[in-house]
Amino acid sequence: MTMPRTWLPCLLLLTLISQSGLAFAHKASDSFIYLDTNERELRIDVALRDLALLVPLDQDGDLQITGREVRSQREAITRTVERALELSAESGICSLQGLQWGLSRHSDGRYAAARYRISCPGGAGAEQLRYSLLFDRDSLHRGLVEITSDTGSSLAVLSPDRNQLALATETSGPLATFIMFLREGVIHLLIGLDHILFLLVLVLPVSLMGKESESDTVKARMFGLAGIVTAFTVAHSITLALAALDLVTLPIAWVETIIALSIAVAALNVAWPVLGKKTWKLAFAFGLVHGFGFASVLGDLTSGVSDMAVALAGFNLGVELGQLGLLVLGFPLLYLLSQWRLYQRALVPGILLAVAGTSLFWAAERAASI
Amino acid sequence: MTCSVNTKGNRVHLAQCPACFLPALRGRAFWIGLGLAGLLLSPHLLQAAPSPIESDFRDDTVLATLPEAIPISNQEPDTATGLADRIQQLIGEARGTGDPRFFGYAERLFQQWPESRMDDRLLVLRATLFQSLHRFEQARKDLATVLKRTRNREHRVQARLTLANLEIVQGHYMEAKKQCQALARDYPGLIAGSCHAQVAARTGQARAAYQRLQTSLAEVDRPDVTSRLWAEGTLGDIAAQLGRAEAEQHWRRVLAASPSDLYTRTMLADWHLQRGNHNKVLALTDGYDQVDSLAVIRSIAMIRSDHPERNTLTRQLRERFSEARWRGVLLHQRDYARFLLDVEARAEQALKYARENWASQREPLDSRLLLRAARAAGDTKTLTRLEQWLKQHGQTDARYPEVSS
Repeated sequence: MTMPRTWLPCLLLLTLISQSGLAFAHKASDSFIYLDTNERELRIDVALRDLALLVPLDQDGDLQITGREVRSQREAITRTVERALELSAESGICSLQGLQWGLSRHSDGRYAAARYRISCPGGAGAEQLRYSLLFDRDSLHRGLVEITSDTGSSLAVLSPDRNQLALATETSGPLATFIMFLREGVIHLLIGLDHILFLLVLVLPVSLMGKESESDTVKARMFGLAGIVTAFTVAHSITLALAALDLVTLPIAWVETIIALSIAVAALNVAWPVLGKKTWKLAFAFGLVHGFGFASVLGDLTSGVSDMAVALAGFNLGVELGQLGLLVLGFPLLYLLSQWRLYQRALVPGILLAVAGTSLFWAAERAASI
Repeated sequence: MTCSVNTKGNRVHLAQCPACFLPALRGRAFWIGLGLAGLLLSPHLLQAAPSPIESDFRDDTVLATLPEAIPISNQEPDTATGLADRIQQLIGEARGTGDPRFFGYAERLFQQWPESRMDDRLLVLRATLFQSLHRFEQARKDLATVLKRTRNREHRVQARLTLANLEIVQGHYMEAKKQCQALARDYPGLIAGSCHAQVAARTGQARAAYQRLQTSLAEVDRPDVTSRLWAEGTLGDIAAQLGRAEAEQHWRRVLAASPSDLYTRTMLADWHLQRGNHNKVLALTDGYDQVDSLAVIRSIAMIRSDHPERNTLTRQLRERFSEARWRGVLLHQRDYARFLLDVEARAEQALKYARENWASQREPLDSRLLLRAARAAGDTKTLTRLEQWLKQHGQTDARYPEVSS
């Protein structure tokens, strides 16, 4: 803007005229795109000055564009603009139906303006906007976009280097997605009572280990436990991924009933080890069932998330972190309690009965709703 | 803005004057309060609703006027010379009209042209384009390439001159001086003399530089037009720096020969604005509403002289700057900062843009703007820094007499 007098380079200095270097003294070339995602409408305003580069607007060559000239080129203008504008949803390219056509005004003069209704295949909302008008002519041209939705309005700019825009208002980077799902995983573990009960049932037998065991320290037992819960996490990660990626889908009510039953079975197995004492194998098997349960929760969270793998990884890791956290806090407590004489005789059977009772009740309740 | 009470026959129209019944919030305070409330309500840039679409327009209305040089065809020239001619014409058009679209067309042509086919003339032109777009580092790189490899004296002279200008604008006076010296070896005369004078004037020797250049101009027997205008323009700049009335005559001579020289027009309009010659400012800026620097000076003059059209122009500028902010890249930060400071009275905001502008451009008008904005906003840290920089170079300017060095 503030160049001093500079020359226009020329082969012969002597023919140069001293001229200013005022760079951006003027408004540059902009188109205005207004997108209303609620109303599913789009309006685009393109400067007549810019359109004249692409459409023969000045037919009589007098360097003036009249109302008549614009009107007579309406079809060419519309075609040119529509070719440079694309809205799409996952289901495909959306179509634009013209609602209004005419002229508008911006700070530097008159613009051709058109308003459209957007219809995407399957009635979906548009997810992406692509704009390419004039980019092959003017490197400084920009598409100025205003998106209005329920949550308010936001502004964006489209340029030759970046001519696409994701319209989902909650667009976030992979790291943000990962952190969000990590947190969801922890929260899901902490608020899901059936999950905590299942964990308790897995932990109890370890706290009952006799003193004859050679690895009889809290630390050693914690490692053993961590192995068990990790087996559970690995298992539910597998089925969660299968379900979330739509590779395997099971009716959720059945899954929920089986989860409840599995808790009861695990509780009874502590007292009467019908399924064996290899707790980690048990945890793995039940984890497979529980994964399908998580999928239903995750399904509600992942709508609109593009990076499913990152979301899944975050969620699973969150569940695992939550489990390990509970273990670190809860197991020393159980260990202390196990020093109490009545622990093994009264408390553990009591807990097991309560857990089995509760989960059987859940199973009945859930089976009834099938 | 003031709040005027319309009294007709003892009737006070309160509705037109919302603050009248709140005596504590009269006048400016009310508007400042309203402005602050508006700022709080707009977490980010608030865009006004777009103008309605009119479908009912007349056939004979002239809706837009096209510049003559509009490049209807986008066919790329085949030869380097053809491309250079086209680009030179586009850059010339951009400078003469202040319309950056022509820079965009030129850059697009460069982008389609293979790097391996960039000859020296094209490189100099691209550097000029980069400089105009404030991409100073890229400009330096192209100029360095030319200076390193060219055997053509004209290209070398052109590259040196462009580089010298760039260094002066950015306040790198040592580097600029080196380029001026090299220029004097390759192309002695008024142009190299002007180059030296400009650097000397910015580094504490304005008076001597003015004398010397004036003598050179008088001594040269029938100088070519370019050299003469170049020297006249430089003399105008130095005279203004010295606060001498001759500045006007020097600049007038340049404008008489080259009315599309927007730089000189801006300098002269600014000069008259500072002297309160509002009518002269209005005459000089008439018909240049599309050129931001001139339009901002015009709107300040209109406000100061209570011109009836002041609000229209202010509104236009406000809309234009708001669109520019939406674009994101503010290349005319100086104009916007000046608008904020002198029209909107928003010193803090003005200071932000003036500071960003000064980070890359340190012409006297840039320094003066930063000084004024920092003073208005009470930012002593910025003031001290700026004054130190001026002192370090021994730069004094009658347009900011408060700074003594």
